[in-house]
Amino acid sequence: MLNEEKVILMTQMASYEENEGKKNMAIGRYFRSDYITIQVLKSILCATIAYAVCFALFIFYDFENFMQDIYKMDLINFGRNVLLYYGITVVVYGAASYLICSLRYAKAKKSLKCYYNNLKKLNSIYNE
Amino acid sequence: MTALLELRESLKKIYSRNEAFILPVIKFLLSFIVLSIINGKMGYMTKVDNMAIVLIVSLMCSFLPTGFMVFFAMIFVLLHMYALSMETAAVGLVVFLLLYLLFLRFTAKEALVVVLTPILCMIKLPCVMPVAMGLIGTPASCVSVGCGVVVYYLIQTVITNAPTINSMGAEEATAKLRLLIDGMLGNKAMLVTIAAFAITVIVVYLIRRMSVDHSWTIAMIAGVMIEVLILLVGDLMYDTNLSILSVLLGAVVTVIVCKIIEFFRFCLDYSRSEKVQFEDDEYYYYVKAVPKMTVAAPTNTVKKINTQRRPAGQQTRTSGQGSRPAGQSSRSMQSTGRTTEGTARSVVTERTPARNGVPYGQQNGYRGYERSGGRSVTIGGEHTNQQDDSDDYEELF
Repeated sequence: MLNEEKVILMTQMASYEENEGKKNMAIGRYFRSDYITIQVLKSILCATIAYAVCFALFIFYDFENFMQDIYKMDLINFGRNVLLYYGITVVVYGAASYLICSLRYAKAKKSLKCYYNNLKKLNSIYNE
Repeated sequence: MTALLELRESLKKIYSRNEAFILPVIKFLLSFIVLSIINGKMGYMTKVDNMAIVLIVSLMCSFLPTGFMVFFAMIFVLLHMYALSMETAAVGLVVFLLLYLLFLRFTAKEALVVVLTPILCMIKLPCVMPVAMGLIGTPASCVSVGCGVVVYYLIQTVITNAPTINSMGAEEATAKLRLLIDGMLGNKAMLVTIAAFAITVIVVYLIRRMSVDHSWTIAMIAGVMIEVLILLVGDLMYDTNLSILSVLLGAVVTVIVCKIIEFFRFCLDYSRSEKVQFEDDEYYYYVKAVPKMTVAAPTNTVKKINTQRRPAGQQTRTSGQGSRPAGQSSRSMQSTGRTTEGTARSVVTERTPARNGVPYGQQNGYRGYERSGGRSVTIGGEHTNQQDDSDDYEELF
């Protein structure tokens, strides 16, 4: 005999798993610290690539003058400024990523909580 | 008003039945328009500025996910820039790369906004996107709208400097690069526009979330006014040479478009039929879940009992009214051909339809929604003249 309540619950859960549940489960599979660490590392990598691209564009913007002044300029000071701006970029972007990923994780966990409650309900129906 | 509501419901039904066909057609038309406008505005590479290529790519975009439309639009822009000069394409690639690496990683769902914003700016309707995203998006939508503005000004800078770049030789690569970068970084109009759009998105979002009547209407009008104000102030401060007439006209069109979005907003939450499979210890289940369409369910029944005498042999009227517009008095509905002697009592029942299928989480979003007219039913052997009805009872809503 089919238990209609069970079928409806399982249908809702299957629908959730196929749609928004996919992304939430991929997030929920990690511990909070692990998920945020991975996302912040990816963000730092992207910020590094973006900074490198901007630096290359900056060099090519005034390439002739740069090549002429390269022997006259204080390279250590120049390198220190480049690293300082890189550090600021990475810190700011990493902090923004941290905040966004924390919010995303909290939202995914909240959604999964409902799903796990349904799972408990289903378990209790089976145990009846 | 009821006619509009019925139209909306019938459109919703048509969409739900034919979604598999309608969605690819919409995607095809959208990508065709986007690519045609890009070709029309730029058009430096003649091989790509070809109707056959546009049709083929649009056809591909109709079957692929929406992200591919954004990808192909970007490719078309880069190809036109490459036809102009290698340096232009390099600058374009750098801008797209920076936008993707820094911003679009977090707003991937709104990648289409990055394509539609410059297109709407090109057709002189810049105000539509920020107000629309404020109504249907989140505050984070200001990032994708801002990225769209950057793409628009990149394309505009290339178009403006195209004759100069064409006249420069291959040895002046650095000069071309400097021309484009100065055009982008020194563009105060771009900064003013980004600021105006970002503030508009946030203000519209905050106002439409308030628990007041007509919050959506207030939000869209406030958003348009703020946007026009900031653009005018920016024009005064930085002398960006804005056309005030076009801004005001765009504002009017924005309000109209946003009103249409508001009208169809519940359709955005349309839940389609789903097929799921699962199993347990006893059975395999193959389930098709079909969402119920909005049905006017009675939530309010009012009975008014009037004691009155009616002359015998009075002719009846045919029943069959649907929901009627508010403001008209309810009329009794009777079967044809019944004639009875005058009776002492009539009972009139009025039924109010429920809210149209709003999901639970969204019922508070719009309290100013006007209810459609209900249907009145006269129970019993009573029949009245149409003119007499308005004297017996009042319209309740």
